[in-house]
Amino acid sequence: MRTKPADGRGGTCFSLPAPDCGRVVARPRAWTVALLLAVVLPYAAGSATRPRYGGTLRVETHAPVETADPPQTGPGMPDLAPAFAITRWEAGRRAVYAADENAPGGRPFLDAVEVELARSPRDQGIDLDVGKADLIEIPPGEARRQPAGRRTWSSRPVRVLLLQFGTRVDDSRAREALALAVDRSAIFNVLLQRQGEISGALLPQWLSGYAFVFAAASDPAKARDLAAAIPASARSFSIGVEDAALRPIAERIALNAHDAGLAVWVAAQGGADVRLIELRIAAAEPERALAAVAAELGLPAPGRADSPGALYNAERGMLDGFRVVPLFHLADVYGVAARVKGGPGISPLGEWRFENLWLEAGRP
Amino acid sequence: MTFRTRLLLVFTLAVVASVGMVEWLVTRATREAFERVEGQRADVLAAQFQREFDRRGQEIVRAVKDIAVSDAAIAAAISPDESAYYNEASAMARAHGLGLLELVGGDGAIISSAEWPVRFGYKEAWLAASSGWNPGVAFLRREELPGGLTLALAAVETVNAGGRQLYVVGGQQLDQDFLATLVLPAGMRVLLYRNLEAQFASHLLTGSADSAADAQEFQPLIERLIREPRVHLAVLGSGAAAETVHAVPLTGSENNLLAVLLIASSRRDLVQLENSLARTGAGVAAGAIFIGILMAAWATARVTRPVRRLAESAGKVAAGNWDTTVEVTSQDEVGQLAQAFNRMTHELLEQRQRLLQTERVAAWRELARRLAHELKNPLFPLQITVENMQRARDSHPQEFDEVFREGSRTLLAELANLKQIIARFSDFAKMPAPAVQPANLNVLVGETMKLFEAQFAQAKVNARVELAPNLPTVSADPEQITRALRNLVLNAIDAMPEGGTLAVRTMPQGSGVRLEVCDSGKGLSHEECERLFTPYYTTKTHGTGLGLAIVQSVVSDHHGRVSVESQPGKGATFRIDLGDR
Repeated sequence: MRTKPADGRGGTCFSLPAPDCGRVVARPRAWTVALLLAVVLPYAAGSATRPRYGGTLRVETHAPVETADPPQTGPGMPDLAPAFAITRWEAGRRAVYAADENAPGGRPFLDAVEVELARSPRDQGIDLDVGKADLIEIPPGEARRQPAGRRTWSSRPVRVLLLQFGTRVDDSRAREALALAVDRSAIFNVLLQRQGEISGALLPQWLSGYAFVFAAASDPAKARDLAAAIPASARSFSIGVEDAALRPIAERIALNAHDAGLAVWVAAQGGADVRLIELRIAAAEPERALAAVAAELGLPAPGRADSPGALYNAERGMLDGFRVVPLFHLADVYGVAARVKGGPGISPLGEWRFENLWLEAGRP
Repeated sequence: MTFRTRLLLVFTLAVVASVGMVEWLVTRATREAFERVEGQRADVLAAQFQREFDRRGQEIVRAVKDIAVSDAAIAAAISPDESAYYNEASAMARAHGLGLLELVGGDGAIISSAEWPVRFGYKEAWLAASSGWNPGVAFLRREELPGGLTLALAAVETVNAGGRQLYVVGGQQLDQDFLATLVLPAGMRVLLYRNLEAQFASHLLTGSADSAADAQEFQPLIERLIREPRVHLAVLGSGAAAETVHAVPLTGSENNLLAVLLIASSRRDLVQLENSLARTGAGVAAGAIFIGILMAAWATARVTRPVRRLAESAGKVAAGNWDTTVEVTSQDEVGQLAQAFNRMTHELLEQRQRLLQTERVAAWRELARRLAHELKNPLFPLQITVENMQRARDSHPQEFDEVFREGSRTLLAELANLKQIIARFSDFAKMPAPAVQPANLNVLVGETMKLFEAQFAQAKVNARVELAPNLPTVSADPEQITRALRNLVLNAIDAMPEGGTLAVRTMPQGSGVRLEVCDSGKGLSHEECERLFTPYYTTKTHGTGLGLAIVQSVVSDHHGRVSVESQPGKGATFRIDLGDR
């Protein structure tokens, strides 16, 4: 529970979202203690300042949410409830949330949160520099290019970047050849600027504890051998990528594939033989997170996994046959304006937690 | 074809050939002059391209040098973390107007690439080898892009800082945009074939304004130049769309053939000029041919008129007009020919008259001989009889009366014989014109053969009559035809003194009828057959020789034909054809 003094100054004010707390409490595990500590400690550090009421937090994202109604699931805007209630929705452009005076945890310090949608990373950076934005997304490749002194908030690696083969690529040797051809290290070092983690697993190491067991190293020689053994028609397929930010990664994968003797080209997402997609780890509980990933990929739900070994076997079963090839786990990284206080405003899972933030200038 | 037509044709051909030769010479001279000009224009354009090429190369060298000395390049060279400069090349290329730019580490690994950003880490072995390029000089090279190989004009500079080395490789694609900057004279275009694949590929041929749609036309020329890398010249296309193409090889720094510059000059002006010349020539030729034909017609008429008159006169002579002459109008070869013709007809006329006279004399001699022969036979008994009567009156007067009576009978008989002979000659001389009427030859044959039945029996001749049924009637004089048939039958009986077989047949012959009289007598020789119908000719010891002559005269008066077929010892067959014209 969270309490606030009537004068608006912050007191002891850290909390976990009720649903997450419920999940953790319902099925406590020894290996999740570290996670709880990691969540709690930053909130405790942020409570040392004195908050103010008022002001509008200006957030910019690159996702063009085009739905007619505000999104109801996933990280970001939906996480603003119940402290904030949506008051304006312009699909693909803007969403405005107002503080809920009757929020269960008390009124948030901010009066409103204004989310600008579909802003390019470059524009977001400029807006943050000139003071037009308070909180912006930072792509992995740009994280190390931030100006000195800029504050950033990072989540745990909660997004898994993977290749998913469609049904047309039915020769497992072709799938394995591509999986072995991808040079994850080069992509990680250059395109991702060493942000996130190289991984051959669906669940990140911090969540499952066994991700390192899944092989992630490239083997160009074996990839060439596999490609040479399959018919020419099976060596040719397209990689679809929807997010323009991921296109360089797809192009690099196509280049690696070309070196292995595969004819791979980058195409629009629709109708592609292989998709380069990004999935978000939606739960802090590994079994539930794996089930959610399986559901997102259209794979059969993994069986009940009471132990890390069972969970590993379930994940191994999902990856057998190279229908799905995990590549990286990435963190959510946000650039934060200096006037934003009380952070971090995101949880380790990347969820927005703006109810404890306040702005230094306060209400004009 | 007449002589005049041939002469006219020869004159016409001579005129056409002369005009054609003149036009060909004019056209050839024009084409040679035009092609000289075209060659000069192509040389100018090639030189312009070379200047543009050099200028672009200098610009690229300058830009690459500027980048190499920039702080960003030096920072990239000395930075221990090359991955931070992954995007650097794109910004540098934009800032310096380069289409291609790569920052390459000292080990040859790409740090940043403007044209293919995700190719970082890949090795550019040719840089480390340093044998394929010269610092400060732009050169052609093949550049690998995501879409495939391309041709680039590139320059390389080396940055040495902090004990590390960085290669700056910048350039421009040699593509349509590059060609579009060339200022071309009207009617010319420039194409560039990038020799990037082992086989000719039409998509590698680029024009200055658009992609070369007619790439296949250039294929043989380009392939020839690839085999023999030197300047080639060819004419491609046909008609007004034809072009004179200069193909110039463009080589890389290692003298390898990387591209072919094609400078194409339209031949439209030349074709139009040639067409104009052809039209003018055709007009002149038509006029010349027309005038030539008129003059040839006049000349040939002059030449051939005497020849034609000569030919007409020859035709008249052939028709029997022996006194024909030709007017001699000149003293040339034709005139001499006319004089010779006149001499020839004169000689022919004289010879004919001499021949007629000779034949007439011969006929009179034959007639005299025949008359003497015919008259001598009855005269001799007359003489003997008269001498017997004189001798009886002198020596045996008592028997004179008896002798006189006998002698008188003999004299009367011989005188009757003489009278008959004279009557035959008279009849032949007075052969009347036939009184034609429809006549059935079978009827005439039947009646005639009945008259001779007793004579056949006496002469032991087996007479056989074979008459064709339904024999058509013919227009004939029955009396004369019967007379001719009698002569033939008598002739056949005479030909079989020992008896034999006589066959008389009738049969249709074309639209008329045929009468055949066959005997099994001693036959006739070839010479006898030829002379058989000559009057007063006979092979017999008796007779006037007029029988077959009368047959021929009758048949001839009926516009028919009589013939004989015989061999010695095998009898003879006389045939009369009537009514078939």
